[in-house]
Amino acid sequence: MTPIIETTELTKSYDGFFAVSDLNLHIPQGVVYGFLGPNGAGKSTTMKMLLGLTRPTSGSFTIDGMQYPKERLPILKKVASLIEAPAFYGNLTGEENLEIIRRILDLPRSAVSEALEITGLSPYKGRTVKKYSLGMKQRLGLAQALIGKPPILLLDEPTNGLDPAGIHEIRELIRSLPQRYACTVLVCSHLLAEVERMAGWVGILNHGRLLFEGTLEQLREDAAAQGYPTDNLEDTFLALINQDNQRGGR
Amino acid sequence: MALALEWRKIRRTGIWPAFIGGSLLAAAVPVINMAFRWENYVGQESSPLSVLLLANWPVMAMFNLFLVLAGACALYHLEYADGAIGHMRALPLWEGGLFFGKLSLIAFLCLPALAVEAAAVAFCSAHWFGHTDLLSLLQSFGFSFVMLLPSLLCSLLAAEIFKNIWTALGVGVICIFMAGMLPEKGLLFSLFPFSLPLRIWTQLSAESARCLLEAAAVESGLLAAAELLLLKIRRWFL
Repeated sequence: MTPIIETTELTKSYDGFFAVSDLNLHIPQGVVYGFLGPNGAGKSTTMKMLLGLTRPTSGSFTIDGMQYPKERLPILKKVASLIEAPAFYGNLTGEENLEIIRRILDLPRSAVSEALEITGLSPYKGRTVKKYSLGMKQRLGLAQALIGKPPILLLDEPTNGLDPAGIHEIRELIRSLPQRYACTVLVCSHLLAEVERMAGWVGILNHGRLLFEGTLEQLREDAAAQGYPTDNLEDTFLALINQDNQRGGR
Repeated sequence: MALALEWRKIRRTGIWPAFIGGSLLAAAVPVINMAFRWENYVGQESSPLSVLLLANWPVMAMFNLFLVLAGACALYHLEYADGAIGHMRALPLWEGGLFFGKLSLIAFLCLPALAVEAAAVAFCSAHWFGHTDLLSLLQSFGFSFVMLLPSLLCSLLAAEIFKNIWTALGVGVICIFMAGMLPEKGLLFSLFPFSLPLRIWTQLSAESARCLLEAAAVESGLLAAAELLLLKIRRWFL
């Protein structure tokens, strides 16, 4: 499969500390790609670099064949995101927040109601966002990312603050996106069971280095070959991380 | 487009009512001053407009400066408070558009504010002096609008640089009080961006007024260039 996102030796360091080190990602088109790693592994930093919010120290990346930073704006036209926490104007309603993004992206008027509908926010569209619950804010963040049906979606902890029913609903939504919108989804989550249910591909990051990249089946095969548990993604992930930490991490 | 977007963002913030309210307060200054001390001003040799502005403009200009500063800080506070600016930076949007959109919005809000103040001065002139020189009034307030632009750009730059609204407000307030304390004479002092709005059109010779207009235009250009440079520098240090 041709990668739609490809990074080459992508590195980000802060005063000698390597947040991301020589990262070579190959994210195929039309898949849900689970980006896993413990806190501080470099997942969010990688996503920020892909969005141009953080400047790589070295290395490069292409998105849909376009090179950063030369084609930053065309890249951003293809990529939508929900990074770290939903960002919004608290004085505006959910609908008004989406309307601002719709205007910036020059989308048809119907895009706002579609995004509200798909994220279950339609009944609350007229409420100012500062009065939203954490889960509703998260849904709004998703709606902001999904508006305009972007070809590439970067989601950092998309189920944060959602109740179990909400987590299930959003997981099913994310899983359906490649079929519904021909969308490629890069999703970071600490909920490994959720990632296992929604992602076909995974990349495992520790201390800024990529430990594994491939399909879930390949992960199980590799883990079995190395004698790691393969009952579920969580056990395999923890074994991989522990082994890497014992080796010294980097 | 940028102006329309910024206009949408200020819903329920009370920013435009604050501009109208602030301008009404500024407009009340000449009316109250004349109502209580008209005998000090009527009968002077200078033109009514000149007398009225000389007596009231320093206070009115201070109101305008505070309005511009508060508006700039409030607009950037909207961006920073709930992280909206982070999302804006991840959209296919020229980041400078945010700054210049806010500049256009506050400049646009200043127009009705100055119009209310001009109406108050016109009323005082007609009521206590018997006539109003509309052309001079328009020229004077047009001049004041241009003089406000460098301080507006400075306020926006401070509001953009300092995420904490109180820091930006503090910097602006210090600048405004400094402008009030600087001596009026001396070219260098009069070119301080926050001093320019204190200048009175009717007190200036044609040559001085032209110089100040040119200075305001150059300062505005330089401050706009500083914003573009800031965007480049920030991208470098991301």
